[in-house]
Amino acid sequence: MNRRSRGSSSSSGSVGGASDSCRRRSDVPRNRNNDNNKGGDSADVSFIVGTCSSMCPERERVTRERLRDLSVFERLHGNPTKSSSDLAVKKFCRTLSAADVQASDVRPLPVLEETLRYLLSLMDSREHPFEVVHDFIFDRTRSVRQDLSIQNLASERVIHLYEEIVKFHVISRQRLQSCSGASISSMHHLNMEQLAKTLTTLYNIYDVNRKPDYIYENEAEFRSLYVLLHLNTSSGVMGEPLSLWFRKLTSNLIKSKEMCFVRKLLRSYRNGNYRSFLRTTASEATYLQYCISEPHIREMRSFAVECINNVCYKLQPYPLLRLSQNLMMKELDVESLCHECGLEIRTDSDGCIVLPTKQTSFCRPKEGFKNYDLIGIEVESLLCEDT
Amino acid sequence: MAYVSMGEAHRRITEYLNRFCDAVSYQDSSMLCRLLSFSSNSPSLLSLADALNVFQDASSLIRQSDKFSEYGEILAHLFRSLQSYRVGNLVEAYLAFEKFANAFVQEFRNWESAWALEALYVVCYEVRILAEKADKELTSNGKSPEKLKAAGSLLMKVFGVLAGKGPKRVGALYVTCQLFKTYFKLGTVNLCRSVIRSIETARIFDFEEFPRRDKVTYMYYTGRLEVFNENFPAADTKLSYALQHCNPKRERNIRMILKYLIPVKLSLGVIPKDELLQKYNLHEYMNVVQALRKGDLRLLRHALQEHEDRFLRSGVYLVLEKLELQVYQRLMKKIYIIQKLSDPARAHQLKLEVIAKALRWLEIDMDLDEVECIMTILIYKNLVKGYLAHKSKVVVLSKQDPFPKLNGKPVGS
Repeated sequence: MNRRSRGSSSSSGSVGGASDSCRRRSDVPRNRNNDNNKGGDSADVSFIVGTCSSMCPERERVTRERLRDLSVFERLHGNPTKSSSDLAVKKFCRTLSAADVQASDVRPLPVLEETLRYLLSLMDSREHPFEVVHDFIFDRTRSVRQDLSIQNLASERVIHLYEEIVKFHVISRQRLQSCSGASISSMHHLNMEQLAKTLTTLYNIYDVNRKPDYIYENEAEFRSLYVLLHLNTSSGVMGEPLSLWFRKLTSNLIKSKEMCFVRKLLRSYRNGNYRSFLRTTASEATYLQYCISEPHIREMRSFAVECINNVCYKLQPYPLLRLSQNLMMKELDVESLCHECGLEIRTDSDGCIVLPTKQTSFCRPKEGFKNYDLIGIEVESLLCEDT
Repeated sequence: MAYVSMGEAHRRITEYLNRFCDAVSYQDSSMLCRLLSFSSNSPSLLSLADALNVFQDASSLIRQSDKFSEYGEILAHLFRSLQSYRVGNLVEAYLAFEKFANAFVQEFRNWESAWALEALYVVCYEVRILAEKADKELTSNGKSPEKLKAAGSLLMKVFGVLAGKGPKRVGALYVTCQLFKTYFKLGTVNLCRSVIRSIETARIFDFEEFPRRDKVTYMYYTGRLEVFNENFPAADTKLSYALQHCNPKRERNIRMILKYLIPVKLSLGVIPKDELLQKYNLHEYMNVVQALRKGDLRLLRHALQEHEDRFLRSGVYLVLEKLELQVYQRLMKKIYIIQKLSDPARAHQLKLEVIAKALRWLEIDMDLDEVECIMTILIYKNLVKGYLAHKSKVVVLSKQDPFPKLNGKPVGS
């Protein structure tokens, strides 16, 4: 995954436009501060420096007002044909060729920072259902990323922006779980896709112009998310086998608290040790780590149920209370999980709810993205700690 | 740099030009190899480089003679590259060599027979090595390394030239191996896929036709890819092939193969002899093997920690971590054997409490819940045969073969 190449094939042609495909311009390292451009390399094109001073370029705003293409958040007093420079935010545009991009359409870093701050402030809006909020912020942050990429920006301030966007995707992931509707599952899928892409870009920026042995303030945590997205080696969210990925990490990163945590999780996961997996997550996960771990928490719990059903003595049905403690779940949630796995539960002669074992009807539950609580972790308070 | 007179410089350059053109005319591949092998730093090449730097206008010499000017373009780039190489401008050296290589490959295409294959190998090798050096220079100047990636593209082109029906096709595997080395160094191993597919599925290629040395290298790299992807049976096949066919005198190569084969074999339940580890200086695996033999979980964890950097760099760390379950199995077996000696009638009952005690003795603190969890997994993955009576807090072992061997299959398959 060496993204440091100049990608001379990508010249000024199909620029950052086409969403966030592999050849992102921000892969290209910044030599703008140390003007060492020793002639020679023909790929040393100079990048656009944006001059748009508002969240949305004026000509786009005017066009969209005319076409009635304004989001609810952009309407002035609810008027579908009128916006303002305080409300309009540049939309993500998929096809962009360098010829069409003018500096006046691109927002410089301070404006992008202001834009992102504004967008994230909408997360708490109660006026509209969350799906609507998410949809808007999803699209507009993608445009922010696009502007960053076109200008090939890569500084600590830029890192901060990308980190905030990753957080947005993660928080969205959690909040979408309580939404309902036909489009939620595809929203979730697209959200995860952009999360992965944002992370990839972020990692490239961490790598660019890095001083030896230096890691950025939050780098360890954000790198650890990669591991959590790849616990299962066959799932190719970002494509590279973990063993290969670890080879490239510096020693500082590997020894960081966050990396040690996910490596512990990885070990537990691969050895099937659900006890250790759940316990470690509950006691050490940060908010972001917890959220990304959720599908695996679910997976480990189903696995645990499968094992227990498979190996336990038939004449000693497994008490649900104990199971709930082992799996760190509420008893009602365990019942629900068992049903999802196609297993029946009974009440025994003492009035205890038990899981009879050696049932032949076990099946792996369908992949949902709704999750049961993890007892022992206060997710919301983790979020407050981190922000 | 030695002082060279203009006259001497003229002589050296002309000599080289003659040798080069004669080599081509008489199809003398080994001579050609010597003339192109920059990284050998042979005295004759270095003295030629000095001469070029003094003479400065070798192109005029080339133009003067019909014999030389036939290969004018090739030679001009080659000389420029050598000059830069000599004075340590490795990026310039690479850029010129790349141009030389492109021109050379064009000529090569026109030569009907495969006489120049060895020379082509040298060119491919030098392209890669020079690119690596150029990238080092770029990084040390704060710029982005990109030449090795470019070298990869060039090598793919060469592969394309060789992938045809004629006798030149036996060279394709060598180029493939150069590509592997390039991609592995870059970390872009997914790019290996397309060239692997060509080698393994294209009808023009017959694997057995390729030179032995290349087959061994090929299996080594594809075996490593299988290790990264944790396909242990496939990794075993490929790396074992490499081992069997590797020249026994090449101890360094054997060691490299074993470095990956051993973790694979361990995952399949096959334990190497200590003599093997000692012979090839694979001390990092000694404690791992010992831990497996004795069921000593503490030793395994310690060994992983001690050599963490090395194992992570080579990419076998995750494979070794997974051996934990087999170590647990061995530990359970030991407890069972000990119990059999003191109380044969009850030996097949492993109390969770007893297991916890054994683990504490290994300085591993585990509560009964986790012990139960581990036993559940061991039984589920067929490392232990029996069942768990959780209420009685005991594992009841099967009377027959309670600790099945892996027999060449990875755990849990």
